[in-house]
Amino acid sequence: MPNYDVIIIGAGHNGLVTACYLAKAGLKTLVLERREIVGGAAITEEIHPGFRCSTLAHSAAPFFAPIVKDLQLTRHGLKIMTPPVRVLALSPERPAIGIYHDTARTISELEAVSSRDANNYPEFERSFARIGKMLAPLLATTPPAIEHPSAGELWNLSKLGRSFRGLGKKDAYRLLRWGPMAVADLVAEWFESETLRAIVAARGIFGAFAGPWSAGTSAGLLWQAAMDGHAIGASSFVRGGMGALTGALANAARDAGVEIRTGSDAAKIDINDEGAAKVSLKTGEEISARVFVSNADPRTTFLKLVDPVWLDPSFVLKVRNYRATGVSAKINLALSGLPSFTGVEDKNGAGKLSGRIQIGPDIDYLERAFDAAKYGDYSPRPYLDITIPSLLDPDLAPAGAHVMSVYVQYAPYKLKDGDWNSRREEFADSVVDVINNYAPNFKELIIARQVITPPDLEQTYGMSGGHIHHGEQSLDQSFTFRPLIGWAQYRTPIKGLYLCGAGTHPGGGVSGRPGANAAREIIKDFKKRDRK
Amino acid sequence: MTNKYDVIVIGGGHNGLVNAAYLARAGKRVLVLERRHVLGGAAVTEEVFPGFKYSVCSYVVSLLRPEIIRELDLPRHGLEILPLDGTFTPMLNGDYLWRVNDHAQTRREIARHSKLDAEAYDEYGKAMLEMAHFVKPIMSMTPPDPTSLNPKGLKDLLFLGKRFQKLPEEDKYNQVQLMTMSAVDFLDQWFETDVLKATMSASGIIGTFLGVRSPGTAYVLLHHYMGEIDGAFRSWGLSRGGTGAISNAIADAAREAGAEIRTEAAIEKIILKNGQAKGVVLKSGDEIYANVVSSSVDPRLTFMKMVGEEHLPDGFAEDLKRYKYRGSSGKVNLALDGLPDLKCRPGPGPHLRGAISISPGVEYMERAYDDAKYGRYSRRPYIDIVIPSLTDPSVAPAGKHVMSCFVQYAPYNLKEGTWDEKREEFGDTVIDTIAEHAPNIRELILHRQVLTPLDLEREFGLSEGNIFQGELTLEQLFFLRPAPGWAQYRTPIRNLYMCGSATHPGGGIMGASGRNAAMQILKDKK
Repeated sequence: MPNYDVIIIGAGHNGLVTACYLAKAGLKTLVLERREIVGGAAITEEIHPGFRCSTLAHSAAPFFAPIVKDLQLTRHGLKIMTPPVRVLALSPERPAIGIYHDTARTISELEAVSSRDANNYPEFERSFARIGKMLAPLLATTPPAIEHPSAGELWNLSKLGRSFRGLGKKDAYRLLRWGPMAVADLVAEWFESETLRAIVAARGIFGAFAGPWSAGTSAGLLWQAAMDGHAIGASSFVRGGMGALTGALANAARDAGVEIRTGSDAAKIDINDEGAAKVSLKTGEEISARVFVSNADPRTTFLKLVDPVWLDPSFVLKVRNYRATGVSAKINLALSGLPSFTGVEDKNGAGKLSGRIQIGPDIDYLERAFDAAKYGDYSPRPYLDITIPSLLDPDLAPAGAHVMSVYVQYAPYKLKDGDWNSRREEFADSVVDVINNYAPNFKELIIARQVITPPDLEQTYGMSGGHIHHGEQSLDQSFTFRPLIGWAQYRTPIKGLYLCGAGTHPGGGVSGRPGANAAREIIKDFKKRDRK
Repeated sequence: MTNKYDVIVIGGGHNGLVNAAYLARAGKRVLVLERRHVLGGAAVTEEVFPGFKYSVCSYVVSLLRPEIIRELDLPRHGLEILPLDGTFTPMLNGDYLWRVNDHAQTRREIARHSKLDAEAYDEYGKAMLEMAHFVKPIMSMTPPDPTSLNPKGLKDLLFLGKRFQKLPEEDKYNQVQLMTMSAVDFLDQWFETDVLKATMSASGIIGTFLGVRSPGTAYVLLHHYMGEIDGAFRSWGLSRGGTGAISNAIADAAREAGAEIRTEAAIEKIILKNGQAKGVVLKSGDEIYANVVSSSVDPRLTFMKMVGEEHLPDGFAEDLKRYKYRGSSGKVNLALDGLPDLKCRPGPGPHLRGAISISPGVEYMERAYDDAKYGRYSRRPYIDIVIPSLTDPSVAPAGKHVMSCFVQYAPYNLKEGTWDEKREEFGDTVIDTIAEHAPNIRELILHRQVLTPLDLEREFGLSEGNIFQGELTLEQLFFLRPAPGWAQYRTPIRNLYMCGSATHPGGGIMGASGRNAAMQILKDKK
């Protein structure tokens, strides 16, 4: 008799979401986490005495509202904070541009830059809102089987077809054109201001081994729009940092009867002819369950946790070819005060600096940043996505002091010259210099810094290739093709083994959606079994 | 009205001529109007330098639809295709990669570089043939409108869906990757030899403003496997007498079927009466009337110049402005006193008879693209060289040779200076690049013709010098080519049709656009 109904490997936000839903469905669930804290990539850690910061992800994607409701996360301590500003894009010679949740305020700001752009902006927002609304149901849907779609799947597809036609010719064709388009082309069709173009384009390349001129990067905007009805990066934060989100999830899970064991490193999933049978920990301990769910990325799951002899060679080959080469690094800083950015009149910062701050002033800048990565070097002038969470959440730092979370792209996993350990500090210095160009007093404010390179993302946080999305979200690795064609329904070729991480539809970002979708499929299968 | 035709075809390029031939064979009274003194558009042979016949623009045959060759009986009209065997790629380390049609030989050659890749080459070839067979029928199909509820359209979409569904899982996987991935990412999965990947991926970027690492470039790898001559896949060829001979053969077939063809008949305007095309006005002032006007020139010329924006529904005009041309390639044609002597394989020999591809490495190719992204021509470009006189002696005096160099990247929009200022400097860069592999090239040059994207626009009417009348990127293919909702060869102007490369399936000396358009016109005008 197995010890558990379900064992989930990895207590990232998706693993915890899956755990919650399974436990609520009455399944005896155990979550194993290698590290001493839960949260995976959604964590808050003390980077310096008195300074706490979202170590990796620093903004919720946004987190899927129905999950917050289902799991009563608010009751379990979740507090989402949404600043008025989505993104503030700095520019060396041009004035900074802010994109606000309030359209009118955005327009009035754009007026100063280009009246043409100010005119186009509302329709830009509206058309992405419309298309996002049409796409949104896809995020909560299990991708249909291509081989033998079930009646239900066909029904969903026909519903999708109808809502697609419901868009009307203009938007329908927009959707078809935009999907495969280079985001640089898309923004050029809408706007003339380089800074505004760069703000929008940044969403298309976030976390991707691609530049704004790479075809298919517009799809990132469509997904973003499907997530929160807007093409431009969302700014929704969690009081206490991202760790508070996974903390709330963990509370909800325990509350629902889930057992969570940290410091438990799952070394192997043992398989026999019936399928997945046991998980054995590094310590040698073995735990059995009826079903296993991996929150780890596809490569880790199939190339490390599972003995390949149980997999079809062509499947293994496909997993090897699954593209998951990371391009992002993270630098977290403890600051003695608030940096004053040139051209930003906002002393207390609450108005303009409290959202995302973008360094990446024009399309060519972003593309050149990517060029460096193509040839195996980090960008001398990288694209930076900065947040200063202590502006909205003063408890994260001592009074008057601040924490700054800097997402850096491009920092390719493999360097052509040298390795990340030997170049870590040199890399961090170059990033600090870049920020200093925009905030002259920046360097003096730095008390401490934490540098996280792609190999760190792999070794410490278990994302193979250091890819923050558990694999490229290119067209050939999305929806029915994520992670692999024929295996997009959270099941795997191994009976009793499931995936629930960002390597499954709808992919990366702290949304909790893959976890929720996976739970639905697992529960479905349990019902089938028990009927037998 | 005496001078009344059923159809006026604008442009005597290969698509216009194919279009005319099929319409004439169906009994229509057809008139073809060509602006230049020669027929063929971009498929043209000209004696720019006495005794030397250049295939000025397009230089190889591969995609010309076999059904067109059959149905128009082109061999009888003088078309003769001579096989062009192999691609020879000099490397920077003094070695080379030489791929030929003989699979076994190519396999041995690749094995010289990597045993694993030699193995993979077999598998790769098989897989690509499968894919080519899958894609083929789509070429000769009128794209459905996915947003309309028209049952025919739905049926076609369903047909495509079912075809895809019927593919074995492996092929589905490959197909998805081919449609969306970059040539290099795709090839990385099969091969490890850098030069092999570089030279193969080159076919993915031809005529596009993309690099070998840009998603969407893998698809074009298929075209190599779709090139058919007498049904035999993967063979490329030259037409005896240069590519102009193809156009002349088609023109001959059209005339035989009763079509009338006029050269030096530039068109000023398309005559409209209450929103319908009625005919054309020539630069000379003559007015010619017809029931249908079928334009083989690109949408910018057809609608912005000949129709006039004021007569277009606004949605359509905006879509046309969004349609991307931005040519990225140039052409250098050389008259040579003898044969180039390659450092990596000195002396004459069969390796010079095929294509000589200057694509020594993936990074080389990608850097060539980077230059173009920021508005300059590649300091070290990708060059596809053919010496047709080795296969077809009729194009050059005895002992002398013609060398055709297709060059990428040469962006239409330069950040600094104009193409008129940079033309010769660009030509020098090309020669310098070739000289790195064939040092004796400079002494051999008797005459040099440099065609920049600007020249392609001025002389051959290709907007922004795009050799495909608009980029062949996913968002401009199939039911999106050239404009959403107008991929069925019809236009918002009644009785005005499109039959050029700017319509599905576009690009290359395929003739499919001209043929598909003819079918559409005949269906509509029964």
